[in-house]
Amino acid sequence: MAKQTNDRPKGKQAAQPGRSSRKARQAEAERRRQRTRRAGLAGVGLVLAFVALVVVGSLFRPKPSSQPSTSAGSAGTAVQQVPAATLNAVGAGSGVTPPMALAANTPPLTQGGKPQILYVGAEYCPYCAAERWPLIVALSRFGTFDNLGATSSSATDVFPNTQTFSFHGSTYTSDSIAFDGVETQTNTGQALDQPTAAQQALFQQFDDAPYTNQPGAIPFLMIGNRYVSIGAEYDPGILQGMTRDQIVAALADPTSPVAKTVDGAANTITAAICQTAGGKPASVCSSPTITQVASTLPAPTS
Amino acid sequence: MTPRWVVRSTFVLALVAVAVSAYLTVAHYTSPHVLACSGSGAIDCAKVTTSAQSRFLGIPVAVLGLVWAVAMAALCSPRAWPSAARWVRPARAAAVCIGMAFVLWLVFAELVLVGAICVWCTTMHLLTFALFVLIVIFGYAREPLEAEPIDERV
Repeated sequence: MAKQTNDRPKGKQAAQPGRSSRKARQAEAERRRQRTRRAGLAGVGLVLAFVALVVVGSLFRPKPSSQPSTSAGSAGTAVQQVPAATLNAVGAGSGVTPPMALAANTPPLTQGGKPQILYVGAEYCPYCAAERWPLIVALSRFGTFDNLGATSSSATDVFPNTQTFSFHGSTYTSDSIAFDGVETQTNTGQALDQPTAAQQALFQQFDDAPYTNQPGAIPFLMIGNRYVSIGAEYDPGILQGMTRDQIVAALADPTSPVAKTVDGAANTITAAICQTAGGKPASVCSSPTITQVASTLPAPTS
Repeated sequence: MTPRWVVRSTFVLALVAVAVSAYLTVAHYTSPHVLACSGSGAIDCAKVTTSAQSRFLGIPVAVLGLVWAVAMAALCSPRAWPSAARWVRPARAAAVCIGMAFVLWLVFAELVLVGAICVWCTTMHLLTFALFVLIVIFGYAREPLEAEPIDERV
């Protein structure tokens, strides 16, 4: 053995251990590659498994039980009795975006010979929750609601649990105007009212450019095909954390921020209805405040 | 050496991610604040991008996505892949893993908490997933061997 080793050329004596150690390094590198690849595949598998779990879970998870709108009770009555003196004191209010005017040649929207007001919204929608307040205050000057529901906006959306009312199941009576309130979903997203074909056609025609850059957005408020409002007229944040009774009480105080905003929005809706209904009834439409607010509304486009 | 197609693919994907996240960031700061709910059902970008989950520690997620995508583009550039700097490889792996973990949180937030999907956000999620797959499976599959020993015959 010793002789054999001694007979080898010097170069080969040195190369032999180098080759074997290179092989060992290559084998080690290969093992590392395999380990890295296995870890990578495991990571990708975990990601896919997580996504699959979330997708399946979201598809099959039981929907939270819908919070059915209950009777609005005394709040439903009180919101219809905001003193005219308070509304006059607030005027156009502050932080209010008034309805937009439609083209002058748009055929008027009527029902039974009366200008028709159409509201399309949903109970989950926080902006609808905000818009119902001034809408009810305004409509109450022209007629009376029965069976207004009490509800709150979605607990998981922006401005969660905004206290409000629901038009689902309510009726409205007026000598001068007609009103239809359509609530398409509950506050947990379950189907509620189905718009009629005519309501749906109107919604699709006007809830689009140039009146909104978010077609199909709600709340949608059409006032006799003369004015349209898409979205809330004010920031719902002003109602955050307030109970329904607190909001009702604030509406009667012309110095409260809620009254300045909500009553101001109610006055712009009232003025728009007066413009559409030919100034009837005079007891509402001839008031200096409403006349003044009406003068600030946008003119019909040509 | 990392396969050339992996280098090219990751760089292109990262650049697309920069473009998408830049769009989302610009949209975040320039879109008018619409006081309305979208009636478009489960596909609802506005609902997602205005949700409480659209911010992380007070920072818009779109901005975080843009910062991450720019960092990934730098780490996946054809110059960065063969870099001898010791920190580049672990930084790339860590960045893509952090990005993937964040995407998993956002997918959960969209599907479970918000209940709506934003197509632009989903595009960003898919780009992140593609980068993750390429980097963790193929990016380190061919580790460079140690330098050949110098032949002692000289």
